[in-house]
Amino acid sequence: MTTPAAELVGVTQRFGSFTAVDAVDLRIPRGRLTTLLGPSGCGKTTTLRMLAGYATPTSGRILIDGQDATRTPPEKRDLGMVFQSYALFPHLTVADNVAYGLTMRKVPAPERRRRAAEALELVGLGHLGDRRPKQLSGGQQQRVALARAVAVRPRLLLLDEPLSNLDARLRVQMRAEIRRIQSETGLTVVLVTHDQDEALEMSDEMVLMRAGKVVQSGAPRDVFPAPADRFVAEFLGYENFLTLADGREAAVRPEHLRVVTADAPLDGRVDDVVLDAVVRDVAYRGVDVLVTLDATDPAGTAVRLVADHRAEDETPAPSPGARVRLVAPRARLALLTPAAPAAAPATAPEGNR
Amino acid sequence: MSGTRLRHPVAAALAVAGYVIMIVPIGFVVATAFTAGSTLRFPPEGLSLTWFGEAVAYSPFMEAVVSSLELAALATALALVLGVPVTLAVHRGRIPGRGLLEGLFLSPLVVPELVVGLALYQQLMIGLHLDNFTTLLLGHTALLLPYAVRVTGASLALADPALEEAARGLGASPVRAFFTVTLPMLRPGLVSAGLLGFVTSFNNVPLSLLLQTRDFRTLPVTMLDYVQQSYDPMVAAASTLVLAATVVVAVVAERTVGFAKIFGGINR
Amino acid sequence: MRARSTLLLLLPGLAFLLVGFLLPAVAMLFAPPGVTFAQVIERMGAMLTDPYDLGIVWRTVRIGLVVTAVCVLLGFPIASLLARSRSRWAGVLLALAIFPLLLSNVVRTFGWLVVLGSNGVIGQLLTGLGLVEKAPQLLYTELAIVLGLVQLFLPLAVITCYSAVAQVDPGLEEAARGLGASRTRTFWSILVPLSLPGVVVAATLVFAGSVTAYTTPYLLGGSSQRMLSTQLFSYASVTVDWAAASATAVVMTVLVFLVSGISALVGRKGAVS
Ligand SMILES: Nc1ncnc2c1ncn2[C@@H]1O[C@H](COP(=O)(O)OP(=O)(O)OP(=O)(O)O)[C@@H](O)[C@H]1O
Ligand SMILES: [Mg+2]
Repeated sequence: MTTPAAELVGVTQRFGSFTAVDAVDLRIPRGRLTTLLGPSGCGKTTTLRMLAGYATPTSGRILIDGQDATRTPPEKRDLGMVFQSYALFPHLTVADNVAYGLTMRKVPAPERRRRAAEALELVGLGHLGDRRPKQLSGGQQQRVALARAVAVRPRLLLLDEPLSNLDARLRVQMRAEIRRIQSETGLTVVLVTHDQDEALEMSDEMVLMRAGKVVQSGAPRDVFPAPADRFVAEFLGYENFLTLADGREAAVRPEHLRVVTADAPLDGRVDDVVLDAVVRDVAYRGVDVLVTLDATDPAGTAVRLVADHRAEDETPAPSPGARVRLVAPRARLALLTPAAPAAAPATAPEGNR
Repeated sequence: MSGTRLRHPVAAALAVAGYVIMIVPIGFVVATAFTAGSTLRFPPEGLSLTWFGEAVAYSPFMEAVVSSLELAALATALALVLGVPVTLAVHRGRIPGRGLLEGLFLSPLVVPELVVGLALYQQLMIGLHLDNFTTLLLGHTALLLPYAVRVTGASLALADPALEEAARGLGASPVRAFFTVTLPMLRPGLVSAGLLGFVTSFNNVPLSLLLQTRDFRTLPVTMLDYVQQSYDPMVAAASTLVLAATVVVAVVAERTVGFAKIFGGINR
Repeated sequence: MRARSTLLLLLPGLAFLLVGFLLPAVAMLFAPPGVTFAQVIERMGAMLTDPYDLGIVWRTVRIGLVVTAVCVLLGFPIASLLARSRSRWAGVLLALAIFPLLLSNVVRTFGWLVVLGSNGVIGQLLTGLGLVEKAPQLLYTELAIVLGLVQLFLPLAVITCYSAVAQVDPGLEEAARGLGASRTRTFWSILVPLSLPGVVVAATLVFAGSVTAYTTPYLLGGSSQRMLSTQLFSYASVTVDWAAASATAVVMTVLVFLVSGISALVGRKGAVS
């Protein structure tokens, strides 16, 4: 087994009496893209900043390439970081921005120029080297920040919400772009995001955080269908929660709840969950219709559920007041471990930063 | 005020009166400087450049010009060299009582300069037998420190702290990051504070007043003494020269950082 | 940044501040050469009872108040006209108002000698028009000092009021007009109250400047119209009466602090409501 590119061992960060990061253990696998995912204020940035050396943990250790780097200053860590604000040097040209790290490493001028040009080429901005950061669009600035971090061939590339300042279309495009760059360069990447779609689409490994703690981690394929607890489930877009006959809690996504007429034949498997329900509200959303229903779950508790009704489904969308039947296929039910009593609400209060 | 919509006639009249008081007396200084006569009479008796020649040839003035330039340049440089680290410490350091500390460095602004001058004269020149140039330099530097700290601080507050972190992350030591990233960010503030400091020191009377000796005298105080003793237009000519030099400084200020911005920095 | 490097950065500046300002200022109060603190206090007491000294204090305060009032009265209209003008001349006029701040006080004050002097502009004008027999005594009067100080501090009032007016959203005035307020009404009910904190700052700066200025009362007031500053100079340099000089310095400083303190209180109250 190879040493992880970086490792956090029992890392805690306190600001006064407030614990921003609480005894986190984390292994960052080499050559992969790991995302830190969680709601605002859960400690993602703080974790990343400790990894980069901008903050020193209150306790715990940070290993980079197996070496203790807990107190190593950032300039000695040989990492690349892309800031949320990009932090491009406004007084330097794009090319000089990208070459900055190479200058600091005393790379001779000709090689420096070549490598900076290469890095700019990698992000598709080879032609903009002479501009100033202010003369670029937000998306281009973001690419320059990426090129600047990549140009030094860092041991670890750290990205703090790199896409949050971009418009929706560009954001989706850049996800693929960052993946491409990661696989072309073979870099180890840690990316912070609060967008579960981004994390699911981009990660090899995703780490879910809540109130300073890691709550679940693993490959998206393993995490998504099996959220560990209600918090993770909610964060991943599970909107329906019900208690099964045996007392266990299960989560279902709206798109996996089928709305059928009250007298429809039950053609599914016997262990599908079937509920009688009354339609409360129907909202047309283009590709689908969102149906809100009142039902009673197998444990006998009244629950409010939402179901996605595809527009192209053969059965027409029901109207409010209609009595219908809801089918949740067994295979789509995510069984949750009883959540530990919440240390903090799932959505952190305002006042971050 | 053609082109400006005159709002209320009363407001417009007050504004015109204000401009008259601010500007017109300066105009009369220039006008009398070109007189051929020998008194401060208006209208001037004839036109000549005689008094300019006199002023330039009058050695106490010329020596004082050199002294004042020297003092202003040194005090400004010192205030910047001392003030920038203070700005960094106040804005980027993790220290308790940051507000108090900044207030301490701004405190020379609130004590009347004449009082500071008295204190320095009494305690340093008479008490400690410091020579007057050293005393002047100390006093002027302390006087300019608030400008340096406040104006460069305003520049630093505008700069994203992540810039320095980015530089560190790319391999720059703290010192290297300061010189390659922070200092260029501070440039407008340094230029503003430098110009403002230089002009403030060069023109200063109250602080310098008591700190004069025969060997080292500053220009404004020398001119003041001259006006008190004789009533001829030579000071008008000297004043006109100072005015011309000030116009040059103003143009430089406008071209580099913008005039209004420089003074924006000293407003509370 | 570590605490130790922060301290290192502060140290040289702190040292200069102490030697070049703080220590001498404190020492002047407590230990003028050959004088005790008690004597300074005693002299201060005498100053506040002696009619001559008291007259100087009162003249200083009076001049300070008049100059402050005039500067606000003239400065605010200039600032609001400039800040609300869309004309390109507004920039030029603003620069013209700021420029005197760069110019030596001696040069600026000297202009009044030409204007107010016995052979000066006004005298010549009045006698020339046959309005008066003999040019009136304008120089070495309180009026001359007030005019000189207004010229000196009006630019400061203008830029301070200007930034105050500029940060009031013009949309508010438009909204008031839309709600039926006249132009004058809008000025008094919207612009004035919203820019009041800035005006208070301007007034404080002007007052503090006026009661401590030296050049103007020296050139335009002469020995007949002494202010605290010219009196202080004469104690320190002519009669070399250290106790009196220190006492005068304290009175002057307290005056400035008092007014700054009051205005800070007023400003805070204004900000709350
Ligand atoms: N320097 C600091 N001093 C005090 N508290 C801090 C500091 N930095 C962060 N915090 C607090 O620590 C918690 C975690 O902050 P962090 O920036 O790591 O959150 P985040 O997960 O990155 O959130 P976001 O998605 O909003 O960026 C927050 O509650 C924040 O207020
Ligand atoms: Mg964050």
